[in-house]
Amino acid sequence: MTILEVSQLTKTYPDMAKGEYVALGGISFSAKPGEVFGLLGPNGAGKTTALRILSTVLRPTSGTVRINGFDVVTHPGEVRQSIGFVSNNTAIYDRMSAWEMVEYFGRLYGIEKDQLHERMELLFEELQMQEIRDVAGAKMSTGMKQKTSIARALIHDPPVLVFDEASIGLDVMVARKLLDIVAKLRDDGKCIIFSTHIMREVERLCDRVAIMHRGMILAEGSLSDLSERFGQRDFEELFFELLSHHDRQHGIEAA
Amino acid sequence: MNWERVQLIFARELRDQMRDRRTMFTIAVLPLLLYPIMGMLMLQISQFHRENPVRIDVVGMEHWPSALPFIENNKIAKGLLTDNEIDLIHIESLSDSEVGATPDNKPKVAPELSRDHATLLVDRARNRVHQGACDLVLIVDPKIEERLEEKRDPDAADRPMSLSDSTSGILTLVGNRANDRSMVADRRLRTAIDQWQRVWISQRLSEASLNPKLVQPLAIAEIDVAPAATRSALVWSKLLPFVMLVWALTGAFYPAVDLCAGEKERGTLETLLSSPALRREIVWGKLLTVMCFSVTTALLNLFSMQLTASLVMNQFMRLGSEQMIESLGPLPFSSIGWLVIMLLPISALFSALAMAVAALARSSKEGQYYLMPLLLVGMPLVMLPMLPGVTLSVGTSIVPVTGAVLLSRSLIEGQYQEALVHLPFVVAVTAMACLLAIRWAVRQFESETVMFRENERFDISTWLKQVWRDRGATASVSEAVLCGMIILVALFFGRMMVSEPTISWTSIAKSTVIIQLGLILAPCLIMATMLTRSLGKAFRLGVPKVSDLAFCVLLAVCLHPSYVVLASWVQSEYSIGAETKALLLQFDAELSKVPLWSVILFLAVIPALCEELAFRGFIFGGLLRQNGVLRAILVSSLFFGMSHGVLQQTITATLMGIIIGVIAWRSGGVACGIAFHITHNSLSMWLARAAKQPDGIPDWCSWAFQAVDGGWDYSASWSTFSILLGIVGFAWFFARERNATCYVGERGGKPLSSSQC
Repeated sequence: MTILEVSQLTKTYPDMAKGEYVALGGISFSAKPGEVFGLLGPNGAGKTTALRILSTVLRPTSGTVRINGFDVVTHPGEVRQSIGFVSNNTAIYDRMSAWEMVEYFGRLYGIEKDQLHERMELLFEELQMQEIRDVAGAKMSTGMKQKTSIARALIHDPPVLVFDEASIGLDVMVARKLLDIVAKLRDDGKCIIFSTHIMREVERLCDRVAIMHRGMILAEGSLSDLSERFGQRDFEELFFELLSHHDRQHGIEAA
Repeated sequence: MNWERVQLIFARELRDQMRDRRTMFTIAVLPLLLYPIMGMLMLQISQFHRENPVRIDVVGMEHWPSALPFIENNKIAKGLLTDNEIDLIHIESLSDSEVGATPDNKPKVAPELSRDHATLLVDRARNRVHQGACDLVLIVDPKIEERLEEKRDPDAADRPMSLSDSTSGILTLVGNRANDRSMVADRRLRTAIDQWQRVWISQRLSEASLNPKLVQPLAIAEIDVAPAATRSALVWSKLLPFVMLVWALTGAFYPAVDLCAGEKERGTLETLLSSPALRREIVWGKLLTVMCFSVTTALLNLFSMQLTASLVMNQFMRLGSEQMIESLGPLPFSSIGWLVIMLLPISALFSALAMAVAALARSSKEGQYYLMPLLLVGMPLVMLPMLPGVTLSVGTSIVPVTGAVLLSRSLIEGQYQEALVHLPFVVAVTAMACLLAIRWAVRQFESETVMFRENERFDISTWLKQVWRDRGATASVSEAVLCGMIILVALFFGRMMVSEPTISWTSIAKSTVIIQLGLILAPCLIMATMLTRSLGKAFRLGVPKVSDLAFCVLLAVCLHPSYVVLASWVQSEYSIGAETKALLLQFDAELSKVPLWSVILFLAVIPALCEELAFRGFIFGGLLRQNGVLRAILVSSLFFGMSHGVLQQTITATLMGIIIGVIAWRSGGVACGIAFHITHNSLSMWLARAAKQPDGIPDWCSWAFQAVDGGWDYSASWSTFSILLGIVGFAWFFARERNATCYVGERGGKPLSSSQC
């Protein structure tokens, strides 16, 4: 049973130099509950664009995205109720404490006050955020900010969670903690879309992965599938070969 | 829309801004400090003027007539000034030679034998003032007594002014206008001199056995019907709205930049955009916050200003300067109530505008740059009511902001009836402007390109290449607007250059051709050749149906009587100056000398062709893109109206532009508009000429006309009937199926089905 389905998704922007910049050239993938789906790709591969369409802040140029049975174009409100979005573009408010921030978004999701506070106590306990409860955003470390963002994304208990380059700027300890949290969420039956350009994270976490480059998905499958298909045990090597092969085919000098 | 969410967003943004020290400083602290500081400064200045001692050097006082002394014991004589003022003037009587000595006892100006003694004295006095040895030098003519005597001689009045009078006064004041102390000294000394003269004259009159009051034979008693409240309202009701609205705009702008551009920069906007709140709800929440700050800033400024004014005026009152208190006294509190009521809608308008503009910016720094353009748009509307003679009328009440300010002024001045008459206009216009501004702000938030703009590096050559590569079948919206602006600017300068001092038919014809072909059509042609792929589509040159053309000619005939009524109403509402009227008469006289066909060719056909091709062709086609039908009709007619230069014509032409705009849209091309326009112009020309001649109207159309004194006008029955016909015809044209030949090209000139255009 798929809870998230992306098919033939394209996105183009007007561009000064080229006339039209194709950020997404028709990608398709799907994900199930209890699964971590990795989007792996170098910077500028189109991961953020794709995930922004998932979170309904951007509209697709063509193609469809259905989340929890709702289309992102026709039912953006329901889609937003069904996903939690954590990205390094979604910052937290400087002049608000962690508690206020999470409470604010909980209220925006329309959760009743009593129920909301109950859920917040639970989340703050689980994410070990009690000590930053009353710390203002401006005074938090990157790790604390990330935790607050995750709490913010989890407050309405969505079935789908999107993490876009969420481990950028985190130190080893905090990054590991983040992966633990994601793993636990998967075990709770959430569907997780995890975009990154760090191989290790994919190897540790993802059940299935799509390798993205220049707005296209070059390969998709479980890690073992991919290494079998391309006859390469080292995943980093595999990733690099795929990308350079694609660039050679399209006559693009690898950067 | 979920108002609970709007309220949530509003509450959060408000709390967030309250926690921001910079915002709080500009909004709350600054106004509370600003006016008391200004008030203190004012008191300081007045104190300086009142209490600052000055030093005046006097040369040649020994020649002063002893009968009525001016200076006694190195002080101004008693009675010429108040004792206090006399004490503040230190007089130093100098002999002629002393003036020449500089502080270090070296003569600055070498005495020259050829120079006249008086000139030398002045030069030396000048030096002393320059060097700061004193603030002012008073030089008394040695022949003062003689010259005063001369003034008593009755025959002297008939003689031409004596040579000495015209070249040098009896008294010479050498001072420095750039120096405040010198100015104060000058003012005090003049007061004393005036007083001395008055005494001298009355003494002379008494000597001649005349009543000393003879010099002011007419006593004037003054009765002012304006109540005391209005008198003090006069200054404030002009000044206060201005100050308050400037602050309303500033108070709206800074929070708006922080809430839009600032949040973009900090990355919190995307967090909010991915929350369940709709864009509209976000805009409303933020808008209410911005408005809250806008209103608070304005009110705090008002309050602080009022408080300072009353305190400062109290101070002045103790010093006793009646007149100033009367005109600048604090405003009665009822008036402040009216100001507050006016403030609310205008600050809503400013807030929405500030939000929409701030949403464009990627960072707070970029946001700050947009304040100036916003002020450029807002300030003239706020300043207009301050111009002398601008009062509340139908014409001014339909100008956004200006109307509301004038309305509040009428209310402050207690002219309730006048205010009530114009209230509906002001309310309608203000509401309309607010709604449009809010809609714009919401659109900005819904636009991906605005919300997620990346910093693109800009360089001219790539941009030019892009413009050439992406040129469409028709102009783009911004190209169309740019073209309109170019035409307006070209007309502004062109009109000044082609205008000739004398009006003759050749000059009229020549300037019309230059203006129409060179300044209106040419810019469009150049832009169309460079920026579009097809001239035909860019100018919307479809082949129209003959029936459509015929219909438009008939419609123009039917609507012409209504236009005549409208034009005369506009002329009565916005009266034309006498100079312009004389010019128009001269213009008419010239036209009646040439054959009708050439008048129609030059003043009806050529303008109609050029204007239609430009405004309903190129510009309209560009504005029509992305489903902008309303935009195309309104903006093109505004450009069309403003291209007429004169305010009265601008108003009528804008309204006509809307009608032709609808025709151009429904007919899908420019041809029907041309037919309408030519017919309309020709009718106006023909009627203007026919009105001058008793047999100007042929018999077969006498049913539509009636003789009025010295000319012809549309008959009342035809006027009424034609309005009905016009409305029915227009409605039919509007309601019928749209023409399939519709030229709207999206980028790259992809054809569109008729339902899309």
